[in-house]
Amino acid sequence: MTADRPSGSVSDTPVLVLEHLTKQYGAFTALDDLTLTLNAGQILGLIGPNGAGKTTTIKILVGLIRPTSGTAMIAGVDCVRDSQKIKRMVGYMPDTFGSYDNMRVREYLDFFGAAFGIAPRLRAKRIDEVMQLTGTTYMRDRFVESLSHGMQQRVGLSRILLHDPKVLILDEPVNGLDPQARIEMRDLLIQLAAQGKTLLVTSHILPELTRICHRVAIMTHGKLRAFGTVEEIGRQVSQQRTIESHLVSADQVTAAANIIRQSIEPGADVVEVAAEATVRFRTARSESDLGDVLTRLIQGGIRITQFREVQTDLEEAFMSFARPKEGAGAKPAVVGGAAHA
Amino acid sequence: MLSAITRRELTTLLRRRRMMVLVFGLVTLFGLLVVIRWPSDGRVALTGVRSQQVFQLFGYGLLATLLLLLPVFPATSIVREKKRGTLALLLNTPLGPWRIFTGKLLAILALAGIVLVMSLPAASACYAMGGLSLYGDLWKVYLLLMLVALQYSVLALLVSSYAQTIDAAVRVTYGLVLGLSVMTLGPHYFFQGTKGSLADLGELLRGLSPFAALMSLTGAGDFGSQGLVNRTDLLGRFAICSLLIAVVGSVWTISRLNHRIFDLSRSAGAISDDQTRSIQWIRRMFFLVDPQRRSKGISSFINPVMVKEFRCRRFGRLHWLLRLVAVCAVLSLGLTYATTAGTLDWGVETIGGIMVVMQVALVVLITPSLSAGLISAEREGRGWQLLQTTPLSIARVIWGKLLSVILPLMLILCATLPGYLVMVYIEPGMSLQVQRVVICLVLTAIFAMVLSAAVGSLFARTAAATAGAYGVLLAICGLPLLVWMGRDAPFGHDTVEAVLCFNPIAAALSVIRMPGFQHYVLIPANWWFLGIGSLISLLVLLWQTYRISRPQ
Repeated sequence: MTADRPSGSVSDTPVLVLEHLTKQYGAFTALDDLTLTLNAGQILGLIGPNGAGKTTTIKILVGLIRPTSGTAMIAGVDCVRDSQKIKRMVGYMPDTFGSYDNMRVREYLDFFGAAFGIAPRLRAKRIDEVMQLTGTTYMRDRFVESLSHGMQQRVGLSRILLHDPKVLILDEPVNGLDPQARIEMRDLLIQLAAQGKTLLVTSHILPELTRICHRVAIMTHGKLRAFGTVEEIGRQVSQQRTIESHLVSADQVTAAANIIRQSIEPGADVVEVAAEATVRFRTARSESDLGDVLTRLIQGGIRITQFREVQTDLEEAFMSFARPKEGAGAKPAVVGGAAHA
Repeated sequence: MLSAITRRELTTLLRRRRMMVLVFGLVTLFGLLVVIRWPSDGRVALTGVRSQQVFQLFGYGLLATLLLLLPVFPATSIVREKKRGTLALLLNTPLGPWRIFTGKLLAILALAGIVLVMSLPAASACYAMGGLSLYGDLWKVYLLLMLVALQYSVLALLVSSYAQTIDAAVRVTYGLVLGLSVMTLGPHYFFQGTKGSLADLGELLRGLSPFAALMSLTGAGDFGSQGLVNRTDLLGRFAICSLLIAVVGSVWTISRLNHRIFDLSRSAGAISDDQTRSIQWIRRMFFLVDPQRRSKGISSFINPVMVKEFRCRRFGRLHWLLRLVAVCAVLSLGLTYATTAGTLDWGVETIGGIMVVMQVALVVLITPSLSAGLISAEREGRGWQLLQTTPLSIARVIWGKLLSVILPLMLILCATLPGYLVMVYIEPGMSLQVQRVVICLVLTAIFAMVLSAAVGSLFARTAAATAGAYGVLLAICGLPLLVWMGRDAPFGHDTVEAVLCFNPIAAALSVIRMPGFQHYVLIPANWWFLGIGSLISLLVLLWQTYRISRPQ
């Protein structure tokens, strides 16, 4: 699952540093004491239900909203005090495209290049480069409003790459895209991270984040609930691990399940899936105990093709953080103790 | 099922707080008009002159209200549904195009009915003052107003069925309103009393104007009658024309309400540079500046926002402006030539008057469409947020946007300068007048631009911004002219002069000594008004832009 994530260009230099970031609208707290850091070349996935504070966080980072308290720094530059500097360091793609009528794709990019003060010759070269990178060269003469949603997203990505920012902030970049466009967008983001860009991505499509993000932050009700790698979050969500054992024959499923029940905690979940010739169980036992379970299965004459741990799904993790917080007494805790990459 | 659409349309309209404020504002205004002229000393003029004077103004006020207020609702009705996708849902129901159209039309007519019913107490008060006939005056005026509501609602719905954007629908509809109600009076004004095809055309065209019909009804005389007596039944002629237009327009609109209304392919983005040389040459001949050529990059010395604004416009790109400027130049020179060649014996003042009226009409019609959506279009299209994330300062953004309006206006104003120059050549004594007229026109253009931009910036939607800007500008240009029409009775010279000081058209006409305006001294009071008004509008625009741009 993690094979897609870019590697090699991640450094230990923190690029994005949020400290005790709070935003209040009257009595309503949109963002509550958010603290996290992200290193250069990493992709951070920000997830949470509607109203969790994701867009508020993003807008503070790009200087569209002022925080009530706390600090937000990008590469050592204060997002609030030096918002002009931040504009040149950050590429922001909002969840809506922001198209202009009657404008062709190249004209659209030319305008934003000029708005960033890029000299005409360099701008023309840069437009060609980003269009090639995002695969939009063939649509350069098309009118932006006539493009499909997937095409518009890629043009939007081209727009934010024009001034070569260090940090890319993308609000729901894969929202509404068809599967092929989603895969293309994912590959593009991985490519950008591999080039050393730091990315902050929000998405509701959790499997996408699982595939590309180095770090994931789960937010609900303006609070950071979990922060870490997908594996770390999954482990924290559930102290029990899910183990799956694939058998050669479905006839042995019941026998294998009986052996497993005798070997792990009494009353533990053991599920027999005869159609898949699989036994699935959840346990808090250690690695050596699991080794013993495997030995007993083999000694019991069970023919096994696979015996492996199933990674906790991000959706599962997300739901476990999101669900209890609906009620009162939500316990704001950052997984892993500190929200640092 | 028919009533379901009407009910939905009507409740949507009436649910708006602005609508209620507007309706009650109108009622108060009409009431005040009667109260001001109500006899206070216990004596009543038996001739009923006083009530006729009030009723005359009351009629014009109601007509102006219907023409300014009503068309915006049908103009946005179909195109808004098309954009939101609800028209497809409606067409997918068993309602059918006829019922959809009738439902929408009835809702608009019901709204017009509400405005007319609200005016009844004031009309009754006029009637009670004496001197008015129930059938001869009141009924006929209300019949005329109902016909106006029907005709313009149908036309606006037709425009809406063709429009691709809401603001384009508003723009075209107001252009039609101005063209049909005011511009149709022009040929008659200049050719009345003469013989020939032009005089016949003028006579025919004025039958389309509700103002001409109302003037003949209220006994105000003919538009610019210059003492000529005319006994034509203009109400009857207008009734036939408006009913004909309403029927044709209805059938036409109904024929548009089917699946073909969505049958538009996405533009492939054809570029002239990729075409053959002969096609490129033909396009260059036709367009002068080909809108489909591959544009060059924005120069470092040019404000990128200005270029963006030009590129975003359909009307307003260079090829359109060049055509417009060419028409203005040819028309102004043609008029001046006609006078010098002795074809027309209007005199230099009248020619100057025509040019001023045409220029101001052009400025008033074009400026809000270019200027009103400067901020609201960005907000509506979510472009404002993107602009905020660029290093462009607010001042540079505003300046770029205003420049994109200033340049077309300058071209339009400059296009008629040759006409004025010829005028000065014929009559050197008019040099000072022409200079003052040019100042009036420049100030009018600046005022119209900044006012439209300021009013437009108060709205988040382009259609509302465009309608609001047109409403305010047309009110400033039109309402004082209503008072001017009541000059000497009921309004005295001083009152008319004071009111006309707020009117940019009247100021220019008084400077050029156009008949009817030559006795009013409106300069420099009008220039002060335009200058201060422009400054206040600019401050409002800057403040509103700063307000929506600052981090929340």
